[in-house]
Order: sequence, then structure tokens, then C-alpha cells
Amino acid sequence: MSVLDYILAGVAAVFAGPELAFLGLPATPVMILCGFLLGIVVGSTPGLAAPMAMAVSLPLLISAFGFNPDALLPVMGFLIGVMKGGTVGGAVPAILFNTPGTPDAYMTTLDGHPMTKAGQPGKALRIAHFSSASGDTFSDIVLILCAPFLAVLVEQYLDLPEKTALLLLSLAFIAAVIGGSVGKGLISTGLGLLAAYVGTGEDFYPRLSMGTEELSRGFPITTAVLGVLILGEVFKSLEDEWHRRGRDPVFKGVASAGDQRLTRSDLRRIAPFIGRSAAIGTAIGALPGVGSTLAATLGYTVGRARHAKRSPDATQFGEGAPEGIGATEAANSSVSGANLIPVLSLGIPGNAAAVFLILAAETIGGFNPGPSVFKFTDDPNPELIVAFGLFTAMMIANLLNWTIGGVFMRAMGVMVRIPKHMLLPCVLLLTLTAIYVQETRMEAIWMAVGFGFLGYFMRRVGMSPLPFVIAFILGGKLEETARQAFAATGGDAFFLFSSPTAILLMGLMAATIFFSLRRKSA
Amino acid sequence: MGGAGGTLAPPFILMTSRANLYLGLVSLVLAFVVILVWVPLDTDTGLIEKVRRRVTIGDALAPTIAACFVALGGGLLVLAERNSADQSGLTTSNLRHVIWVLGLVALALLVMRWAGPLLTEDYRLLRATAPWKWLGFGLGGTILVTGLIAAIERRLTLRALVVGIAVTVALIVLFDLPFDDLLLPPNGDV
Repeated sequence: MSVLDYILAGVAAVFAGPELAFLGLPATPVMILCGFLLGIVVGSTPGLAAPMAMAVSLPLLISAFGFNPDALLPVMGFLIGVMKGGTVGGAVPAILFNTPGTPDAYMTTLDGHPMTKAGQPGKALRIAHFSSASGDTFSDIVLILCAPFLAVLVEQYLDLPEKTALLLLSLAFIAAVIGGSVGKGLISTGLGLLAAYVGTGEDFYPRLSMGTEELSRGFPITTAVLGVLILGEVFKSLEDEWHRRGRDPVFKGVASAGDQRLTRSDLRRIAPFIGRSAAIGTAIGALPGVGSTLAATLGYTVGRARHAKRSPDATQFGEGAPEGIGATEAANSSVSGANLIPVLSLGIPGNAAAVFLILAAETIGGFNPGPSVFKFTDDPNPELIVAFGLFTAMMIANLLNWTIGGVFMRAMGVMVRIPKHMLLPCVLLLTLTAIYVQETRMEAIWMAVGFGFLGYFMRRVGMSPLPFVIAFILGGKLEETARQAFAATGGDAFFLFSSPTAILLMGLMAATIFFSLRRKSA
Repeated sequence: MGGAGGTLAPPFILMTSRANLYLGLVSLVLAFVVILVWVPLDTDTGLIEKVRRRVTIGDALAPTIAACFVALGGGLLVLAERNSADQSGLTTSNLRHVIWVLGLVALALLVMRWAGPLLTEDYRLLRATAPWKWLGFGLGGTILVTGLIAAIERRLTLRALVVGIAVTVALIVLFDLPFDDLLLPPNGDV
């Protein structure tokens, strides 16, 4: 099959895949739409986030579509829709009520809310939506162009020792760049690896199981991931709400004055800022572990300096400049597509949303994100067809974003009025239920609660839980690759230094830790 | 950062100025316990194994490397980041929070698990029959949601009870009614 055949097969898989019996429509486009709308709703609701929605939707989706390769595109299409909707929705409460719906929308409040106070909430939301959709689309195009090439390069030039070194480099990079401390990042990574190795191994005795039946089966991936990522955040937010005694801020009505439409001159003003921020966000998003918050901050900072230099007499950033909203929203939205570059080309999740995409692929089976996916063989490679199906799903989500996203987003201002202290216990019960229906044993719930408190403590001591989760997911793969590399090199204890490429990757690993340490202590 | 955002400064367990040092020391101790005690006692193969004259990686190597990550991180906190400006720590207020949340979650889960079997000896036979199959989940879920809202608001209100019941019913409708193959807690255990 040629490249074009694979692209067409991917598109066909989306539109000619399984049907929704009660609607008679192809399931994948409908699921993308549902996911996208749900993503906007959760993104617009302070206290909720796209990964939460992805986590609790997964067992329902799998029950609805089953454990077969046909389920991959509807399920992952839904999750991609949630991911994309979430990036758009975060701007709504930020602009209307000075409350970011997602952490990366904080910078949006700086110019969005002053515009609302000046009677231009509609225009501010339109600018946010246009910038977000532009950044997201740009990022997806880069993903589609880059991921296959990167994967082919990895598969062609990296052998087992180099792949082991690459995994170690990725883990070290994620540990070093996430959060404010290299030391805490490494501890988080180490704990994640350690948890992944409990109850596993090649020997008859499941290692580190302390002779117990419960630990001998290892920690289910859902308990560790949902526990640390979702329950940890819920427990922390519950404490914050407890101190506030559940008194939510009072949100006043929003008044509009004047023309709220987005004009051609508005677009001309913000376009350079969107372009610059989209490039910044995409470059940052392609690095595993570097999140959209950093992209938004960088995009905003670069845009602010440029704006102050070029237009000193115009409204400056922080005072209600449309360019500020454009710079921030384009940057944080362009991370989402690029974040899938390491997932699809290397099998390494770069953020929480990517973690749930990998989780879905692992649970359903038939698709193992990584360099082996992009094998252009004469006989149809089903994994490659799924990959092009995913690219198609992303483009459909973008199309939805450009067409109905803005209208739906502007109607979501009401979500900020949901009391957070009532929402959090509901999220807790929903997450525990989602874990149980997947594992069907109470001990899984207890394990998840334990991981939840681990996630809580991590957040309280300023340790990011994301390296833990990524290490937990990659732990098995790291060990398996290392075992194969060790065997392939004839038991060479120094297999990680057996070729110039492996030495380079290990050197990069040491350099990443060293320079991150120096930068953060400076 | 370390506190939970309260107006009164609670006493610190991990003093903010030394939080990194203590966290680093705890991590180092944990890593050494894993490397020197847990891994050797709880894995049947060593770091490197020789099986039929072939040298292979043993089950002990991967967890040892994991612990090395923890030790390296702990060492960096102690040696290089002990005087960092922004050090988050744990407070007694944080521990109180953990205790009350854990207590409430444990109570709700115990009710969820045992309500059905305690109310009827035949629960095992009835666990696929409505309304019995919703009994434990309904009671435990309502206690969890209502209890947490009431604890945050410092009083039990009708609104909290209604939210608790409504959410539990909504989850039953969402998970149980459309899917025959999904089991609500605790019906997979009893």
C-alpha cells in the first residue's frame, strides 16, 4: 500500500467504521462531536479538567464499543474530542469571571477580563476561540507531518540499546523539566517506576509482592493513574474548599456594550501574535512533559515584549489588549496536537491527556503507539490505518471547533456557577465508580484511594505527579527493552554505552539533569 | 504554598525553610530500604542471572534502578536544592485533612461493601437483582458525597443530601442501566 492508500484507508476507517445502532450514523464522527462538546463543558467548569472527563469516560466507552480493534477509533476519537474541547473551554470563565477554567488559561484572565469589564466579553471570547482554533489546527498539521518521519527515523536508526537510552533520556527530561525541582521530579519518577515493578517480573514469584495475593497481581494501571492524577487533585481541592467553608465567589452578570463581532482589522492585529505563539506552543508541546502552562506564559511574554516595542501607544498587555488573549490562547492550544508527537512516534506520553490516550489503546488492544506503528508495508498495516484514522479524527475535531466551537463555548459561561465544593465529591464518587467497573474488586478502590493520597502529598510538597504517572506507564516497556538489549549485546553490562548514538543519548540525559539543576538554582 | 490557604498559619511538620532537606532525607532512607532490604528479601532473582550459561537481567535490577532514581532525587534535594527559595511543606492542618477525608471515604466504602450482606443473608443471590444490587452503592455513595459536602459546609443541609442522592442515582443510571456487563461496587466482590 502506498502512503496515499494508507491516508485514504484511515479516512475510510473513520467514516465507514462501526455504526451507532440507534442513530444509523458512523460512530467515530459522532463520538468526536460528543467528546468535543463534553470537553468544552469540563474546560469551562473551574475544578474540572479534560483528563478527568477522559478518565471517567473510558470504562463507559469500552463497555459500549467492546475490546476489539473496531473500538479504537470511536473511543480514541471521543478522547481526542474531549482533549480539544477542554483547551477551548478554559478561556470562558477566565474571560468572563477572571477565573481560569484550566491552569493554562491563567494568562487569558490578564487581558480577557479587562475586556469584559470594558463591555466587550463577546469580542474577547471570539478572539480566544479564533486564536485557540488556529493554534490547535497548526499544531495538528505539524503533528501529522512530523510524527511519521520521526517514527521512521527512530525505527531505522535506533537499535535496542539506543531505544533503552532514549527511554531513560525521556524519563530524565520529564523529571527535570516538570515542576520547580529536579530532585522532586526524579523522586516522582523513581516512585512511579517502583510502583510499576510491584507484582511483575519474569520469575515465578511476583517480585515486591510481600507474599500477598493483592500485591502479586501488581497495581492496576487505572488505580495508579486515576489515583495520583485525579483523586490527588480532588483531595487537594477538597482541602482548599474546606478552608473556604464552601463559600464560592459571587459572580456578577456580564454586560456587553458596542459591537462584539470579530472584524477583519481585529484579525490583522492579532494574526502575528497567533502565528508566533502557535510556533512557540508547538515547539514546546513536542517535548514530552513540558505543559501548556509554560507555553502560554512564553507566548504571552514574547507577545508582550513585541507589542510594547511595536505599538507603544496601543492598549498594552495586561490592560485588555486583544493581542494578549490571542498570544496566550494560540500558545496553550497549540500544545495539544504537538504533545502527541512523542506519543505516536516514540510511545512516550507527554501530558495527562496523552496518558489517557495510551491507556485507551492499551486497554482495547490492537494499537501500540510507538515507532513500530509507522511501517508502510505492502500488506495493510492495521496500526498505521488507525494512526491515519486518528489524524482524521483530529481534523474533524478542528472542523467542529471552527464551526460550532465558538457558539457552544460562548454559551458555557453558566458553568462557573456550579459550586466547586459540591462538584468535587461528585467527581470523587464518579472516579471511584469508574475504577471499580474496570477492575471489579474493592481492593482496586482502596489502592486508588492510597494513590490518591500519594498524589495529594506530592502536590503539597511541590512535587509534580506527572513524572510518576509517565514512569508508571513506561516502566514495563523500559525493563523489557533493557532485557532485550542486554540479551542482544551478549550480556554486555555496558550496553547503554555500546554505540555512539547510545552514548550521545546517555550524555544528553546527564546534561539535562545538570543544566536543569543549574538553571533552577540560578 | 505548603499550607492549604487558611488565614491562620498552622504549625509546620515539614518546615518550609527545610522542607527540601527533610524530603530529601526521607527519600534517601526509603531508597536505601528498598535497595538493601525490600528488593533482596522480596525478589527471587538477583540483579544479573546466569541461566543455562546465558547471562540475563534478573528481576531485582529494575526496582533497584527505580530506587536509584529516588536516591538521586533525594541526594539532589539534600545537596543542591536544600536552600531553594520556594519550598513547599506539610502542615498539621494537611494531616488533619487527610485523616478526616480518609475517615469519611473509609466509612462510605465500608457501608458500600457490607450494607447488602448485612441487611440480607441472601445478598449474593440477589446482587444482580434490582433494587438490591444498588443498595450498597446507593448508601455508600450518598454517604460519601453528602458527608464531604456537609464537612466542607460545617453543617448537614437538605441540599447536600439531595445532591448526594441525585449523583448516586445518576451514576446508577449511567453505569448500570445501559450496560449489562458493568458491575457497580461491591457486586463484583460479594
